[in-house]
Amino acid sequence: MLAGQIVNGLVSGAMYALVAIGFTLIIGVLDKLNFNHPEVFMFGGYVGLMALPHMSVAGAFAMAFLVGGLLGVLTEWMAFRRFVGSDARTTAALSSLALGLILTDLVHKVWGTEPLRLPNLTGWLSESFGLLGVNFLNLQMVLLAITFALMWALHHVIAHTRMGRQIRAVAESSAHASLLGVNVLRVNQAVFFISSGLASIAGLMLALRADTVSPDLGLTFGLKALAVMAIGGMGDMRGAVLAGLGIGVLEALMFHFGLGRLGELTVWAAMIATLLLKPAGLFASGHHGQEQRV
Amino acid sequence: MAAPWVRQGFDMMPMPILSIANLSKHFGGIHALNGIDLHITEGEILGLIGPNGAGKTALINTITGFYRADSGQMDFMGHSLVGRSLHDIGRLGIGRTFQNIRLFKRMSVLENVMVANKTYAAHPWSAFWGFGQRRKAVDEAMHWLHTMHLDAKADVSAQSLSYGDARRLEIARALAGYPSLLLLDEPAAGMNEGETEALIQDIHTARSQVKAMLLIEHDMGLIRSLSDRVVAMDYGRKIAEGSAASVLAHPEVKKAYLGEDE
Amino acid sequence: MIADHLFFTCINILLAWSVYVSLLTGSLSFAQGAFMAVGCYASGYFTAKMGMPMLPATGLAALISALIAALVGYPALRLRGIYLILATLGLTFCIRVLLENMDFLGGIGGFGGMKGGDLPKAAVAVVLIGIALWLLSISPLQRVFDAVREDDRVAAALGINVTAIRLIGFSAGAAIAAVAGMLYGHYMSFVRPENFDVTLSIYVVLYLVLGGVNNLYGAILGAAIMTLLPEYIRFLADWRPTVFGAAILVLLLFRPDGLLSFRPRTALSKHGRALGAPGV
Repeated sequence: MLAGQIVNGLVSGAMYALVAIGFTLIIGVLDKLNFNHPEVFMFGGYVGLMALPHMSVAGAFAMAFLVGGLLGVLTEWMAFRRFVGSDARTTAALSSLALGLILTDLVHKVWGTEPLRLPNLTGWLSESFGLLGVNFLNLQMVLLAITFALMWALHHVIAHTRMGRQIRAVAESSAHASLLGVNVLRVNQAVFFISSGLASIAGLMLALRADTVSPDLGLTFGLKALAVMAIGGMGDMRGAVLAGLGIGVLEALMFHFGLGRLGELTVWAAMIATLLLKPAGLFASGHHGQEQRV
Repeated sequence: MAAPWVRQGFDMMPMPILSIANLSKHFGGIHALNGIDLHITEGEILGLIGPNGAGKTALINTITGFYRADSGQMDFMGHSLVGRSLHDIGRLGIGRTFQNIRLFKRMSVLENVMVANKTYAAHPWSAFWGFGQRRKAVDEAMHWLHTMHLDAKADVSAQSLSYGDARRLEIARALAGYPSLLLLDEPAAGMNEGETEALIQDIHTARSQVKAMLLIEHDMGLIRSLSDRVVAMDYGRKIAEGSAASVLAHPEVKKAYLGEDE
Repeated sequence: MIADHLFFTCINILLAWSVYVSLLTGSLSFAQGAFMAVGCYASGYFTAKMGMPMLPATGLAALISALIAALVGYPALRLRGIYLILATLGLTFCIRVLLENMDFLGGIGGFGGMKGGDLPKAAVAVVLIGIALWLLSISPLQRVFDAVREDDRVAAALGINVTAIRLIGFSAGAAIAAVAGMLYGHYMSFVRPENFDVTLSIYVVLYLVLGGVNNLYGAILGAAIMTLLPEYIRFLADWRPTVFGAAILVLLLFRPDGLLSFRPRTALSKHGRALGAPGV
């Protein structure tokens, strides 16, 4: 059913968007790539694996956010803090990559390399309802609702709180911000916390929807979120959301029309197209794309 | 080594080298360039002055392709510059220096100049097999270093140069591409009296190697002694044009600088 | 056994060099897995299915690899480096998916029938490519590469076509990776798309980062260490990613250019003497 597929696509898109937002936030504020991001996303599922036998789904989400956020702060400390200067972007990216390697390896050692099943969902979440002849899962609705709630919350924080103002100041210019009394380190930590927390939640969402966790998800699903970010525009959060949802639906349509596994290529083809036609990002509003060309 | 196009004793109508009409560039709400008209004729040094933020560097950046002009025309010796890529403009014959000195710090002084050799810069294949040509290229590069008094420092790392030497190296590097038009962006910034005097000599030397020059400076002494003509800018617009004396006495120019001393 | 280890060391040296050539122009590429796959499958198809001898098959495969690199790289190479990183990661992922769906090349099940790869051939490849890289390092082109890598806009202002230079570096890297792929396939005689995944691309970059990014010897050192040490130290083999990751983290803090961090000097100075290796 097409409508069902589209809803599926929206749910995927929501997850892409959550991961992409976090990634793009770090680019916008620190102008660096955090390659540990996809792995934190992957780990979110494992947090769920550990938490779900002991607490409710809501509790699991809270744990995922917390653990993800802490991993983010750890990443900032180990892979980003020391590196300032011209080559710093590459060095920081490589460091976070190395950190990601370690995280994945630890997951392999503790839980093995094969996918694992999550404990079965009971109660209301596992039920479905019908609307206009289409079968929707309650879970899908909850995931969409959570995503939109989180995005709204993030927007609120950035636009209306003091921390948000400080984040925006650092994104403009960390030198100026620190001259104005902003504690740039705290802001960086906060940005990493939020960004990685969101990624971790997205990972849990994927695990709940697919009923399994797997260590490979970082480099498959997570990597696609990076492409989504490029499509939406580097450093542009609204772009990340729109691109994420758009790509999610597009992918679902590709699968629906029988392209099978080749549908996986959709997001990358879209990225190449974006780079060719509008490198600053299809939905970008900001100046981050300025002077990108040589 | 005189530039090949310097004609001896020929009395011809000076050719316009660079003609700019109604050039505009804005960033968000800020107009860095707001309908600028400007021309530089063959053989002249045009001085460009204006307070910080007036758009002087933005003008150089737009001419050389670092910024994309939003509207207007730029004509360089019969070629339009609008929309051209950086390397195209460089190969057409425009050389420049940078306000905040952008040398290749990880190379030696000699290598900085050799990289500007258009035989290598424009032809990767020749550059790869250029073993035989290298003697000639080194000699040519050494010539440029010699004109800027840097030959003794040829193998020194560019990173360890003094301020004055670094600026001279930038000029040598720009000259090594045999530009027709040389754009200098505040070459004397941060220099003391003695260094500035030496720089005036070096710019005179450079002048004989090119067809025309644009000189951005805050040092009015330098402007007076080097410029044939001066243009003053403020807020992206041209506010005065003429001889150095007339422009510097212009009431609007004085107002723009708000009581700046020489 | 040791011939095995040396063979894989040669493969990894070639792969690390393919990253190196790209990096010389400032492009960090994570696509070596993809180009290796292209080289392997293309040359394998030519030799196993079409009966071509190995040398022309390799040449053709390297050419195809370079062309794909130029086509796919072009949109990204005009832009900041970050886009190339994403594009190359995507390319590796996509090539794998494509290969898994191409049934005439074996699909997920794999592709076999290649033979003739062995240590002497790998060693010859390493020597030949090493010589080419050495020639590059003493040529003026090396300095053009350096200029592009250090400040691409200033390089462009000097008349250097930065995009073209980056394409050259990226395509050359792809060709070298293709050669590595050919050797690998013809040695293993049977390969599957999953052998050429993103993890491989990441590892190969890290070999270079470990050994040293500024000269051609760093790739040799990094590849040798990471291929040979785990064979002799059990602990390293079991915990390879963690130890490797930790080593890279520490290294980047103290010696970000890698273990062998010197830069090669172009041969001529103003006096016409050849200068020794330790550089700026």
